[in-house]
Amino acid sequence: MTNWPALPRTLVMPGNVRSGQVISLVEVTGGLGAKVDAPRLADELGWDISVLLPALDAAEMLGLVRSEKGDIFLTDLGLKFQKTSKNKVRMLKDMLVQIEPFRTALELASKKKHVTSSEVAESLEERGFKWHYMPDINERIVNDLLIHWSIYAGFLGYNGKTGKFQKV
Amino acid sequence: MSASGQGGAPPHSGVPVNGATISVEHVGLDYRKEKEKLPVLVDVSFETHKNEFVMITGPSGCGKSTLLRIMGGLIKPTSGIVKLRDQLITKPRDEIGMVFQNFVLLPWRTSFENVMFGLASRSDLSPEEKKQRALKALDDAGLKGFESVYPGELSGGMKQRVGVARALALEPHVLLMDEPFSSLDDLTAERLRQEIYGLLINPSSPIQTVIMVSHNVEEIIELADKAIVLSARPGRVVGELKVDLPRPRNKKSEEFFNWMDKVYVLLS
Repeated sequence: MTNWPALPRTLVMPGNVRSGQVISLVEVTGGLGAKVDAPRLADELGWDISVLLPALDAAEMLGLVRSEKGDIFLTDLGLKFQKTSKNKVRMLKDMLVQIEPFRTALELASKKKHVTSSEVAESLEERGFKWHYMPDINERIVNDLLIHWSIYAGFLGYNGKTGKFQKV
Repeated sequence: MSASGQGGAPPHSGVPVNGATISVEHVGLDYRKEKEKLPVLVDVSFETHKNEFVMITGPSGCGKSTLLRIMGGLIKPTSGIVKLRDQLITKPRDEIGMVFQNFVLLPWRTSFENVMFGLASRSDLSPEEKKQRALKALDDAGLKGFESVYPGELSGGMKQRVGVARALALEPHVLLMDEPFSSLDDLTAERLRQEIYGLLINPSSPIQTVIMVSHNVEEIIELADKAIVLSARPGRVVGELKVDLPRPRNKKSEEFFNWMDKVYVLLS
């Protein structure tokens, strides 16, 4: 039997995680010595698992933390991210462009002048990626993710009057 | 409601001491949209027993609340069955009460009238019997003296008490609770947790089993005799923990922390 090399996994940002949550998670983990039990981390952040688990997924996806049997560790990248104040936004941008829906939004915004969250959501759905089975809710989630992450990380701008995103 | 954190097995009648109250057997649920099939729950099985406080947890979207609604007879599973003792649950039953996260009270009715509303379909009870049940349920839920107050005049905790009273008025054997305390402040939530536990161990209460969905791991270890942990969607049982910590449970103890850790290990 042939052992095929594993295909790169498409990374998809959880729909309810915001940049501030991931930054807080990394800061608090770093402040506790770069390794912390999940219950302690949840207690420090005042989060229940509905907030903690998706934020952990996002932080792992960004390469900032690793979780193993209920322990959370900062990775080397996570340590670097925690220590820098100047380069946080740039580092975040470098990580996010590999993750959906940011990757597709950036691709579409590079090809055209503007892109809407609806176009991003449709393009992703054609490839089988969606956060919710109801199209309008799915589009809302994509819109929220783009607003909360892409603008902060500085790779997309947003015009609230037209509801369009453009490459910065 | 009498708050208590400890006590032995109350002598409830009608059910063998070790008999299962609710049996969830190989339950699966798929949502279908046109030709698309989205599995929500896969092969979920567990039993609850008399005098057990059972907590169900898992990541958001894993189907916890859906599972609770299947147990309440509000949703029909795609596969598998749920039984109350030996009877199939195919529709809501008086022996199973439900309390939801949102209070779902009728704002133009008083606390008493809201509880009476839950009894409206009980044609086997006389108006006087309904009235007595509603008053007792309000009393048990800590609302004596608030019978004629409207929901708009009540705090969040008091509104949730009305929701609990409405469920209690049916004199259910099983109480299903879907994150009932998540929108309450910490102190109110803590008081209500102990009061619900007090109802389970009170010999004069009809409640034999409480099944509660929660995202709060501290709450789970504080209350659970058994914790069912579900995986991310589609929800499967990834662990069933029998929490044998003595009560009342000390949240600051190392043992308590270790039990919380066990839940997180299953979730991660």
